Amino acid sequence: MQRKAILAASLAVSALMSQNAAHAEDTVAVIVKATTSEYWQWVFKGAEDAGKKLGVKVEKLGTPKDDAAGQIGVLETAIASKPAAVVISPTIFEALGDPIAAVTDAGIPVIVIDSGAKTDKYASFLTTNNEAGGRAAAEALAACLKERTGKVAGKVGYLTAMAGHESLDSRDRGFLEGMKAYPDVTVVGNRVANNEEAQGMSLTADMLTKDPDLVGLFADNAQMGTGAGASISEQKLGDKFCLVAFDSDAGELEHLKGGSIYALVIQDPYMMGYAGVWYGYAAAHGVRLPKNVDTGVGTVTKATMDDPNLVGLLDVTKRQLSPFVGN
Amino acid sequence: MHSWLRRLPIETYVIVFTVALWIVLSLATPNFLTENNISNIMRQTSIAAIIAIGVMCTIVIAGIDLSVGSVAAFCGVAFAQLCGYGLDLLPAAALTLVAGLGVGMINAVAIGRLGIPAFIVTLAGLQVYRGLALLLAGGMTVGGLPPEVKDFARGTTGLPNLFWAMIAVGIAVHYVLRFTRTGRYMYAMGSNAEAARRQGINTFRITAIAYLMSSGLAALAGLLLVSRLSIASPSMANAYELQAIAAAVVGGASLFGGRGSVLGTVCGAVLFTTMANAAVLLGIDPFWEMVLVGLLIALVVYLDNMQKRRQAGV
Repeated sequence: MQRKAILAASLAVSALMSQNAAHAEDTVAVIVKATTSEYWQWVFKGAEDAGKKLGVKVEKLGTPKDDAAGQIGVLETAIASKPAAVVISPTIFEALGDPIAAVTDAGIPVIVIDSGAKTDKYASFLTTNNEAGGRAAAEALAACLKERTGKVAGKVGYLTAMAGHESLDSRDRGFLEGMKAYPDVTVVGNRVANNEEAQGMSLTADMLTKDPDLVGLFADNAQMGTGAGASISEQKLGDKFCLVAFDSDAGELEHLKGGSIYALVIQDPYMMGYAGVWYGYAAAHGVRLPKNVDTGVGTVTKATMDDPNLVGLLDVTKRQLSPFVGN
Repeated sequence: MHSWLRRLPIETYVIVFTVALWIVLSLATPNFLTENNISNIMRQTSIAAIIAIGVMCTIVIAGIDLSVGSVAAFCGVAFAQLCGYGLDLLPAAALTLVAGLGVGMINAVAIGRLGIPAFIVTLAGLQVYRGLALLLAGGMTVGGLPPEVKDFARGTTGLPNLFWAMIAVGIAVHYVLRFTRTGRYMYAMGSNAEAARRQGINTFRITAIAYLMSSGLAALAGLLLVSRLSIASPSMANAYELQAIAAAVVGGASLFGGRGSVLGTVCGAVLFTTMANAAVLLGIDPFWEMVLVGLLIALVVYLDNMQKRRQAGV
């Protein structure tokens, strides 16, 4: 539903676009958190596709890794060349608040995507509800336990990719909350990795050593999912264990196919980039936008991974946009 | 006083610490001394130890190699992409190792011929090769590797294959350092580069050998990491250079050069793996784990320095 809302707004803009052919030189600056991650590449892909449709230039910007000071620098540099709009995913909530407000004050509309910033001076905020994502992971884990052990009970753990990240913390919080609905399940352990696959793999093995009767695990991003999946597959626990992970990269998809991962909770980074650019363009042309938009999460299992509604979320090259926009 | 203390090998403290930790863990938790856990620790140690052995070689000549984590990621991604282009595993692996050695040669020329400090050259490399890994991978995880790739790291030949790989590397490097003229020259150069040069040692050749070993082993570690994860990710091996330096230093290497051993470095790597393992088994808060690991590095190096002073008779 949310997606339809985004596309409907996009449609409104396409009418505007045709009247404003003179603005073909418009630039939208898209600033992500970490250009080195697959997730943000998908945001860029969506942004580029939107740019092609709109005939605006999309500048793909950001720091290689999470770096708030660096991101502020990138934002300030981007503003100097007077883009029509800015799409940004703030690295740190507090740190990016004032810089984003300053851009809005300078008359350039800002579309915030993925993570929030400490300001209300932005045109629109497109994000995954990470807590809802965490709850979806808990649901999937419970469904897996029911399917594989006949009862929703036992010890489960969770792997956090990095400490002190708002979106990861929200996922974990949502997961813990979701698990409370199952009184026979106890959450026994949480480990924090350095957002690195091999460390996620080692931690999974060690958690299983500590609690050999562990029945399930939630991995809260793609690196952790890939690492945990490799460990489960190494120990050949695939069909007995319930691993649920966030996002979908090539490693996670292999483990989903191979059975080591039961379900992936996937966000829609492509749509964040795609709609972000449309929204930015719309705002630059005076369209009033909804302040908050949830881009939604989906749960994919091996059984549903070929579902036409989900396949485009797993692989952007197979992305089918709504017929409103066409391809 | 305490003349026996002077004769202790430089690896003593790290070995004592590791064994003590093992004993405590065996008593504290029933899950530590299990076949499965020991084999996990062996697998988890091996790749870090192989990288650390390479870095130790550069530390011995009073250099440093900060690029190893990035080189491992770059070579891992390169290997996966070569396989993706339909190359067979062995030629792909061989080409990847050659690329790793190429990196080592570039480092050696920049340091030994152009006279740029090793810290700067390899700090630049840390950025460059991570960037190249990301470019090669298009910022994405590379999957779809043939199943034989993961068979190596999963497999055992009595002990895990990864562990045998570490043993083979360890013996080879130990032999070079302790039983060849090149090895003696490396320590001599690390103790006093100017004196070594005056004695007619070809210091560029020694520099080249150290950095070829470091980058070559990082490339090998990249291959093993891909085998272990069954994918190649441009973000893998993140910050492994720091882990490697810590393992070498805890194992008795001196950042001023002239000291360092394979045994000590491997023990350092085993100690870190054991500590990570212990933190999970004992349920230590992950944040406290970081604090404890840091404090332990400081403590071991402090004790080691005390002993060095005793040996020097100060």
